[in-house]
Amino acid sequence: MKGEGEIYVVHRLLDEQICDSEGRRVGRVDDIELRGSPPRITALLVGEGLYPRRLPRWAARIARRISGPETWGSNALRIPWEEVDELTSTVKLRKKAEDLGLGMGDDPRRWIVGRLPWN
Amino acid sequence: MKVILKIALGIIAAIGGFLDIGDLVFNTQAGALFRYDLLWAVVLGTIGIAVYAEMSGRVAAVSGRPVFDVIRMRMGFGLGLVALIASTAVNLLTVAAELGGIAIVLELLLDAPYSMFVVTGAIALVAIVALLPFGGIERFFGYGGLVLFVVVATVFHQNPDWGAVAHGFVPSLDSSTLYLYFVVGVFAAALMPYEVHFYSSGAIEEGWSEENLKENRLNAILGYGIGGVLSVALVIVSGYLFHPIGVEPSDLGTVALPMQGAFGETGLLLALGGILFCVGGAAIDSSFAASYNLAQFLGWEWGRYKGPRKAPRFTASWLVFLLLGIAIAQSGINPVEITEYSVVFSVVALPLTYLPVLLIAGDRSFMSEYANGRIAATLGWLYFAVIVVLSLAAIPLLLATNGGGG
Amino acid sequence: MSGTGRKRVRSSALGLFLAAALLLTSAGCGDLSNDELNRGVESLSALAGQGQLVANGVARDATKATYARVMARTLGETADHEAEKLADATLEEAETEDQRHAAVAVAAEISALLSELQTFPGDEHHGELVEKHLAEAQEKADAIVAQLSGDAP
Repeated sequence: MKGEGEIYVVHRLLDEQICDSEGRRVGRVDDIELRGSPPRITALLVGEGLYPRRLPRWAARIARRISGPETWGSNALRIPWEEVDELTSTVKLRKKAEDLGLGMGDDPRRWIVGRLPWN
Repeated sequence: MKVILKIALGIIAAIGGFLDIGDLVFNTQAGALFRYDLLWAVVLGTIGIAVYAEMSGRVAAVSGRPVFDVIRMRMGFGLGLVALIASTAVNLLTVAAELGGIAIVLELLLDAPYSMFVVTGAIALVAIVALLPFGGIERFFGYGGLVLFVVVATVFHQNPDWGAVAHGFVPSLDSSTLYLYFVVGVFAAALMPYEVHFYSSGAIEEGWSEENLKENRLNAILGYGIGGVLSVALVIVSGYLFHPIGVEPSDLGTVALPMQGAFGETGLLLALGGILFCVGGAAIDSSFAASYNLAQFLGWEWGRYKGPRKAPRFTASWLVFLLLGIAIAQSGINPVEITEYSVVFSVVALPLTYLPVLLIAGDRSFMSEYANGRIAATLGWLYFAVIVVLSLAAIPLLLATNGGGG
Repeated sequence: MSGTGRKRVRSSALGLFLAAALLLTSAGCGDLSNDELNRGVESLSALAGQGQLVANGVARDATKATYARVMARTLGETADHEAEKLADATLEEAETEDQRHAAVAVAAEISALLSELQTFPGDEHHGELVEKHLAEAQEKADAIVAQLSGDAP
């Protein structure tokens, strides 16, 4: 893909909803990792830790206090580009959320509701 | 045949679910202060919400994107966040106002403390949401709200000066700031965005696709259109009763007086009952809209159909919004005042959530052959212009009229 | 990244706007101007008007007792609140002292009548009487408003 085509994909890809192979919603494309020259998309980045990057400096300071420092594996996650299956109105991934470490925020085991006996 | 029935039921639910406490407060006051002169503004607002809802429903059905997905995608994180914060703040005020409205009606019917009813009302809403299927919730409140057609019956019982009524549908701009404030208020009360956000998310919950586009259009035009008849009726009965005696209603209970005057205790009970259902439904719609918007913007799993187990953050946020609404409703501020602020601030924030939907609805790369045709595009952009003007004028008018106090 | 330019314009417009808003609201804060006294009395007239309609429902036995009682109570509380506000405030123009005095008296009258309605929300005879007296109170309030408008510079 040429450089401009890549930029167009980045433009369309950023902020899109991400769904795993089962259709579960697991976050949005909060940032995109580009490597090399000409730049190639190598990974999608997801997580609250990335929000400060997207805001102007004055807001970024407040946002950083709320979301905490970028901690890879917890509030910042990396989805390698190869894991992307198809791009429609969402970014569909090849694997299930758990296999990629995604969707922990909505993991029923972390919420008391999931641990209620009738669930 | 079954399809026609289903669509008809959906439209009926939309009619009944059209009014909320904002419409009740602003339309009644508009009638009392200016008799029939603001009817054109009611119609303008009603057509506006039909336009916005039709576009949002179409975008949801064709592209699978609810409103705040469109907003984040089209405006990016920063500006989208501004829209989210503004929208959430307005929705919170709205939830509080509707909960206050429920409590006032229950207090009028049962004479027990207002604050007790704010809490029990909220608990009842949670129970209804937990027990009824999603589609059933809209039907439940929608059909109940239809009882408010007693207001239309009251119009015919009163038999007003129909010439003056007809004249009220002709737009006129009085120079008084109070009149202009009510133009904004009446329009904004009809075009409350939470209703559209709820509708668009509901379309996705129901699994809408291109097949539902006709239903979408009927819902928007007939549902909101006929619902608008209720708003118009409210202005007329209020203008007929309150304007000649120079009474500006300061209380929600006053809204029912014209119906009591026409049909006695039966009219009163039907009016209060109808108000209860309308406001109750609106409390659900606005609290859900707040949760939908938050979850969609951040990318969480969302949906009433997913349930608390699959969408715990969405469910938790809904309960938190209800709790915050309870807190505001019980803070001692008059619910009618909370209502006024929620309506005025909602039109200020409206351009932010309207424009992205308009842009996507007209974008063929998202909508293919279902993008805005010439009529939809013309109406869509015309209303954007109107909304921007009103959004800029809203707060200056609010301050200049001392919150509609003159 | 087209948002940053728009955002800068937004924040300076917002600042200007807030300053204007502050100016508007702080002007004449504290003293009760002729206008505000006027509005206060007009609201008393509206309370009396709403009270009459409620009382009329009671008189015709065409209403629900709980509704009438709660309405009477709520309207009465508003009347009390208005009375306190008018009584406590310092007047901008000393000539309006007579009108202010009369307004406070009317407010107290309205409050008392609504209290009666609250106590007897099902009694048709009381409803009739309260309706009649509230009509008189409303006329008094309207007269005060007329005097104030006449006095206006």
